[in-house]
Amino acid sequence: MRSIIYYLREFLRPEWIRKFFFAKTAPLETPSYFKGYPTLTGNECTACLSCMMICPAPKAIAVLRTRDGWEPEIYPGHCIRCGLCVEACPEGVLSSGRILDVTRRDGTAFWSWYHLQVDDNLCMRCGNCCVSCPVNREIDPQLAGSGTSSSDEVIMRVEGGRVRILHEEKCTGCKTCETQCPNRAIRVARMVEGVQIGEAEV
Amino acid sequence: MKKTVDVSIPLGPMHPCWKEPVRLKCETAGERVLRAEVELGYMKKGIERIMQGRPWQEVMFLAERVCGICSVVHNMVFIEAMEKISDIAVPPRAAYLRVVANELDRIASHILANFSYCYTIEHETLAMYLLNTRETVLDNLERLTGSRINTAYMIPGGVRFDLLPGDAAAMLADLAKVEEEMRRHTRIFETGPLIALRSKGIGFMSREDAIRAHTVGPTARASGVEDCDLRLRHPTYRELGFTQVTRTEGDNFARVMVRFQEVFQSIDLIRKCIDTLPEGPIRGGGFCKAGETSYAGEAPRGELTYTIRTDDYGRVVDIAIRTPSVMNIEACAHAMIKDAASIADVTSTFISSDPCIACNER
Repeated sequence: MRSIIYYLREFLRPEWIRKFFFAKTAPLETPSYFKGYPTLTGNECTACLSCMMICPAPKAIAVLRTRDGWEPEIYPGHCIRCGLCVEACPEGVLSSGRILDVTRRDGTAFWSWYHLQVDDNLCMRCGNCCVSCPVNREIDPQLAGSGTSSSDEVIMRVEGGRVRILHEEKCTGCKTCETQCPNRAIRVARMVEGVQIGEAEV
Repeated sequence: MKKTVDVSIPLGPMHPCWKEPVRLKCETAGERVLRAEVELGYMKKGIERIMQGRPWQEVMFLAERVCGICSVVHNMVFIEAMEKISDIAVPPRAAYLRVVANELDRIASHILANFSYCYTIEHETLAMYLLNTRETVLDNLERLTGSRINTAYMIPGGVRFDLLPGDAAAMLADLAKVEEEMRRHTRIFETGPLIALRSKGIGFMSREDAIRAHTVGPTARASGVEDCDLRLRHPTYRELGFTQVTRTEGDNFARVMVRFQEVFQSIDLIRKCIDTLPEGPIRGGGFCKAGETSYAGEAPRGELTYTIRTDDYGRVVDIAIRTPSVMNIEACAHAMIKDAASIADVTSTFISSDPCIACNER
């Protein structure tokens, strides 16, 4: 009984009540340098899939079709918050803490291109790759079944009994050639380079 | 006369003083330890196998997940190995920023090692003081890289983020605080009579033993092995100029004191870096080519080697990591713990060599 009275007296003290009900701790502020999960900025996504291709974590990001276009979706359980997707996106669709600001300010970016390689030992010169390539077909609609093209502007063509790569820089990385090749002789690799670009280009 | 073994005492794999699971089997005669054997394999990750066949963007993140305490140096050594293969030059500003990140990581690692030692000899007050100081260091690592542990700060040809003048000033102010606190902690450790009773002359390893056992890092330097700091051969560190810390006692006290002294040296290096930070870009060009190399850097615990083979697609075909604790743990079992006066000193002697089981069991 005495202890209950003691506690009541203790808890009814004005100082204690004031401290209990009106104590204010400063709100927790996220530091400006914190790397958060990527969020959408509202810019339009062009579905170039750069974010998906550079992401090192499996199943952390997917570019999904929505009613009005494309939209990247982040799965926080898989995301490791490295921010590579934010840096790699050319349209600024994603934002993560300070990463987007920092890349704009420092003028840093990831530049990527595609590297085509034909293994002559595996290749049987069927020309499937040259025919199926959507860029090739657009440049030279007259591509014959053998994959021999009359134009020099195509990405690759069968020449002298072997596949020659003429314009690697035109490759969009769709990997149609790789999937169409019966022997998996042609490989498409995405090469990435971290570069510093001038302020004018940012 | 035949040696009599009273009883074999297993320490671990779970032990209140150890950060990670490892088993130490001690053969004793009374209180005296005759022989010790280390048994690893409780947390094998198979990370080298996971790395094989992946592009560098993925391996970069896997490399720093080898160890959570010295993740920055794993990132740095992997990236520098890739740069060596691909012949990529790093802009001077990026090279200096790498040193800042690496030294912050080294301070955090050394403080954690000393915390662990103080905890083992039951000086919990000093241990908690040290952990408190470590928080400031980790906050500064976050200020620079955006993350406390897994930073992914370096990429081939540069670093991810620049250091703003405001952040640099805040970092220098914090470092002054850390230095002052560490001076206080070092004085407590250096002058404590009970600490001396548990540390001085215990776990002695001679210079010859240290060389014979191929020990690296602070463990070797505490036994008086000269010229074993790989930072002396790193081009950026050579520009900054520093001399390695060496002590000759070779006991537990020396190993902890070497780490305390290296913290001050790292703080000086960071100050020198920030004061003389060159202007210019933080990223150079260049992409990863096919090739093969073996590259070593100085981790907080010693020499860390990455042997890498890459292909034309920028993928890591084959990788082997040799971490410093491999040699240090064996040397610890065979040179330091052997003929230890008391079974009570085994734990603290083992911890004084700063074993990192996560690094060991990749």
